[in-house]
Amino acid sequence: MDLMHHSSSFLLPTIPPDPHHCPSLTYALVLLNQSLPRFTPLLWKHGQLRLCADGGANRLYDEMPLLFPLEDASDVRCRYKPDVIKGDMDSIRTEVLDFYMSLGTKIIDKSHDQDTTDLHKCVTYIRDVAPNLDKSNLCILVAGALGGRFDHEMGNLNVICRFSSLRIVLLSDDSLIHLLPRTHRHEIHIQTSVEGPHCGLIPLGMPSRSSTTTGLQWDLNNTEMRFGGLISTSNIVTGDKVTVQSDSDLLWTISIKKL
Amino acid sequence: MPLLFPQEDASDVRRRYKPDVIKGDMDSIRREVLDFYTSLGTEIVDKSHDQDTTDLHKCVTYIRDFAPGLDKSDLCILVAGALGGRFDHEMGNLNVICHFSSLRIVLLSDDSLIYLLPRTHRHEIHIQTSVEGPHCGLIPIGMPSRSSTTTGLQWDLNNTEMKFGGLISTSNIVTGEKVTVQSDSDLLWTISIKKL
Repeated sequence: MDLMHHSSSFLLPTIPPDPHHCPSLTYALVLLNQSLPRFTPLLWKHGQLRLCADGGANRLYDEMPLLFPLEDASDVRCRYKPDVIKGDMDSIRTEVLDFYMSLGTKIIDKSHDQDTTDLHKCVTYIRDVAPNLDKSNLCILVAGALGGRFDHEMGNLNVICRFSSLRIVLLSDDSLIHLLPRTHRHEIHIQTSVEGPHCGLIPLGMPSRSSTTTGLQWDLNNTEMRFGGLISTSNIVTGDKVTVQSDSDLLWTISIKKL
Repeated sequence: MPLLFPQEDASDVRRRYKPDVIKGDMDSIRREVLDFYTSLGTEIVDKSHDQDTTDLHKCVTYIRDFAPGLDKSDLCILVAGALGGRFDHEMGNLNVICHFSSLRIVLLSDDSLIYLLPRTHRHEIHIQTSVEGPHCGLIPIGMPSRSSTTTGLQWDLNNTEMKFGGLISTSNIVTGEKVTVQSDSDLLWTISIKKL
C-alpha cells in the first residue's frame, strides 16, 4: 500500500522545502459563504488560483478589509481580487458582483444546476477547467466550509468524501479537516507551531473494522470505530508525526492554534 | 445570559437563570463561576476522573439514570452549543445522539436543529413553519442507507440509496407542514431555524 504524506505547511508564513522529497503542492483556494478565518490572507498568499463560491464573494468583499483595519478598504479589495466567482449566484450581492466583474474576475453562473453544492461546482472547475494550473500535485484549501447551517456543513463534508482522490482541506478558525482515503497508509507531519494538540479520526460514512495509528495519546490498534460506538475525538498528538492506516476512509481533524 | 437581557441588572438575570446541575470534567469552568453557582445551591457533579466520555455524554447519563424528580417516561433532551467550535467536539456530540439512539436528544444552534430518526420506527415530523424551515436535510451518518423514503420534501426520496461519497440529502426544502421518513438506517434529520 502506497504512503501518502500530509502537512499543513499552508498555515506557515513561508512553505519550507519538503524534507520527504515529495513534489511541492499547487494550492487553490475556495472561499465559501461563512465568516473568513483570521488566517485567510495567508491562504490567499499560497494560492495560485483563488475562487469564491457565490456568497463567498460577499464575505471577501465585506471581511477582508476588516483584517487590515489600518488600510483603505478599497485598496484591500482590489488587492484581494478572486480569479473566479462560481456558483448558483443566489447569495452574491449585485454590487459585489459588479465590483469584481469590473476588476476582471471571471464569473461562472451555474444557476441552472441545482444538483450540486457550490463547493462541488468549484472543485470540478479547479479539477477540470482551470487553465494554467499545475494539477499534478493539487491541494484545494476551502475556507468557510464549517459553521452556519448544518446541512451545508454535511454537504461540504460529502464533497471531500466524493472527491476522495483529490487533496481537499476544509478550514475554519478552530479546525482543519481532510480525508485519509483507505487506499493509502498515511503520514501526517504536524506543524506544532500552528496546529494541535487536539485531534480526531472520524469514520463519517462507513464503520471502520480496523484502524491503527501511531503518534496519538490514545492510539488505535486494529480498533473498530463507528458512529454509535467508538470514534476518536478529543485525542492529542504527542509529537510531530502521526501515522494512520484503516480499512475505511477516515476524516482527520486537528485544532488550529489561536495566533 | 445577561447579554440577552440588556435592560436588566446582570446579577438578577444570573440568579433567575440558575442551573440545577453543573457536570463534567471541570477543566473549563472558571473558578468564580463555579463559586457563584455553588453558593446559589447548584449541584456540582465533578467527573474529572472520567476521560473516556464527553461532557455531553456525562450529562445525558446523569439525566437518564440519576436525576430525581423527573418524569422520564417521555423525555426529550435539548442541547444548546453542540455545534460550531472544534470539529472533533461537534463529531463527539453527534456521536452521543447516535449512541443513545433510544433517547430523544435535540442538538440546537442559532441556525439549525438536529436529531436522530432511528431505523426502528417510521417517522412523522410536524413542521412548525413559524420557527423552522424551509431548508432541511437527511444525513446517513456513520452508515450507508440502502433505502430511504420520504414525503413532504421538495426532493423526496423513494427507496433511494444514500451514503457519504454519494448522495446525501442536503439543501432540501420542506413543502408543507408534515414530513414522513422511513429508512433501513439511522438518519440525522436537520432543519434550519428561522431568524427571529
